[in-house]
Amino acid sequence: MIFSRWRKRRQERPSPDELLPPEGVALTLPIATVGVRVAAQITDVLITLIAAIALVVLLAMLDGTNPQTIFIIGTLIFFLIRTPYYILAELGWNGQTLGKRLMKIKVVSHDGGSLTAHSLVLRNLMKEAEVFLPATLLLTLDSASPVASIISLLWIGGGLLVPLMDRHRRRLGDMMAGTHVIHLPVPLLLKDLATETPVISKTRKKFIFLTHQLDHYGAYELQTLETLLRAQNAPPSNNAAKQRDATIEAIVERIRKKIGYADPVPYGDRLRFLKAFYNAQREHLEQRQLFGDRRENKHYAKDDQEA
Amino acid sequence: MSLGQLGSSGQKNQAQPGRHLDQGMNGQDLMRSARFRKEREADWRRLETLLLAAERKGLQRMGFADARDLASLYRQATTSLAIAREISLDKALLGYLEALTARAYLCVYAPQERLGGLVTRFLARSAPQAMRRSWVYVLLGFLCMGLGVLAGYLLYFENTDWYYVFMPSELAGGRGPDVTNEALRSVIYDQDPDGSGLGAFATYLFSHNTRIAIFVFGLGVFACAPAILLTFYNGLGLGAFFALHVERGLGVDLGGWLSIHGVTELSAICIACGGGLKLGTAVLFPGDRSRIDALRLAGHDAVKLALVAALMLVAAALLEGFGRQLIQDMTTRYAIGWGVGALWLAWFALGGRRRR
Repeated sequence: MIFSRWRKRRQERPSPDELLPPEGVALTLPIATVGVRVAAQITDVLITLIAAIALVVLLAMLDGTNPQTIFIIGTLIFFLIRTPYYILAELGWNGQTLGKRLMKIKVVSHDGGSLTAHSLVLRNLMKEAEVFLPATLLLTLDSASPVASIISLLWIGGGLLVPLMDRHRRRLGDMMAGTHVIHLPVPLLLKDLATETPVISKTRKKFIFLTHQLDHYGAYELQTLETLLRAQNAPPSNNAAKQRDATIEAIVERIRKKIGYADPVPYGDRLRFLKAFYNAQREHLEQRQLFGDRRENKHYAKDDQEA
Repeated sequence: MSLGQLGSSGQKNQAQPGRHLDQGMNGQDLMRSARFRKEREADWRRLETLLLAAERKGLQRMGFADARDLASLYRQATTSLAIAREISLDKALLGYLEALTARAYLCVYAPQERLGGLVTRFLARSAPQAMRRSWVYVLLGFLCMGLGVLAGYLLYFENTDWYYVFMPSELAGGRGPDVTNEALRSVIYDQDPDGSGLGAFATYLFSHNTRIAIFVFGLGVFACAPAILLTFYNGLGLGAFFALHVERGLGVDLGGWLSIHGVTELSAICIACGGGLKLGTAVLFPGDRSRIDALRLAGHDAVKLALVAALMLVAAALLEGFGRQLIQDMTTRYAIGWGVGALWLAWFALGGRRRR
């Protein structure tokens, strides 16, 4: 019972991908996965590490510093390069470092507001405590002191668990700064299927659908059909063409049977039939939606009865 | 001109009733959602090109007209998206509008601050203000350290063996109760410095105390206890160390040796402890807020304390790396150490106050 209530509450929460900008229209920005973020982090570490090594080599060549101190100077230089790098890069490139640009992910403000310099500085300073300090600890683990090793392993594990447990995949620094990381969306405008007017020769008749024939499907089926029709534009290879024809035929027969469309559809007209059906169905569903009758999928009638 | 003002000019555009009629003729046979798209597609395309330019060049380098259009077209796109969700079932259109609006949102609400202004603001205003706001926590930090020193000092006189308990051997540098007076003195007044400037600076920065400061701050999140314990423990070692020198009649000399960088450095640890305590109390006592919210709110000041501590540690490293070897006179050491300390205090106390 507790479990079911918990699950219900989970379902009621809005999707973590949703972000509400000040304009009040919710946007869908998918949360970046941990794997992608780790990849971006590794890229950044490599970039800064290479810069640091180059500087150290230069320094060592300029004056023959004590080889004992060269390692510690290297650590210092690595620290002095990476800390400003993350902050400056995210400030300059609007929440993206080079690694993040490569992986096409980006930092956004968690509450949908403006991304402030304060939060960018904070989340990158916390990176020192969350990523680099445990990493150095891991490198300097000493088997002679098992208690210290276990404590540092626990700390590292805890740090890794935080983003995995969070719905928004935030690490501690993200939580404190009020940010999370998203995948950059790519705007790509495809042609509107409904505006593609097929050439209709005089000899062929138009497909006409009646209202009761359009009451069988919902938005989900419509959009599946849309995906299928869009895929037809790509020229297929020989083998795939045969398979595609078979699929189209099966779908046409299925639709005809379901909506009770009596006239047979000849081989050359199948795509034209589907497009006409898509247009009619879309117009019908959109009209129903305007009247407040939203049909998610073909089971809409059943859902209404239950509610 | 703010973005809000820019936006108002664009929204007028959309409400023009004439537009609809103009294009009504050629799009009459289209369904409503297709017509909707046809009317606005040009604006979306323009927003897309503006976006590409803004992402490539940055908002700061865009022309006035372009920046204005970007902001107003973004607001138009959000309304288009809201309408499209209601009237259109075209998946391609919805996906495109969603992505376009999201991209534009990210661009319009990008951070607008310049870095130079950020640094000046931090030094001139926000750092001292944060210090004053959280003076209780900083005081607690100093208290932890002070109590540690006192306890270490008293315990040493009770039994000198405590020294070995409190003082890590690598930090003592061979100094202990069984070492002669001359050896102790020679460390304090080192006539033959071995490390070069930069090497000593770097070595110092990654030495014991910096690590303590980082841990004290970072571990504060875990309910304060680790931060308090670590600061106290650090004080214990210091107290025992001091007691050893007092016992040998070198107390005043050690004071000078420690002062020159210690005033800055130990204060840095206490301030880092204060920052850690601030985070820890936010986790322990979030009040009416959720723990994450409380942590975020406390983080505003805590991170400033950490930055101040970092700045002080770098200053201490400079003093240690260069100053301590060069200046061998005890009075000068005292003067520099406490003088720098007074400067810090003046910064915290007087910086960022509004003039009347």
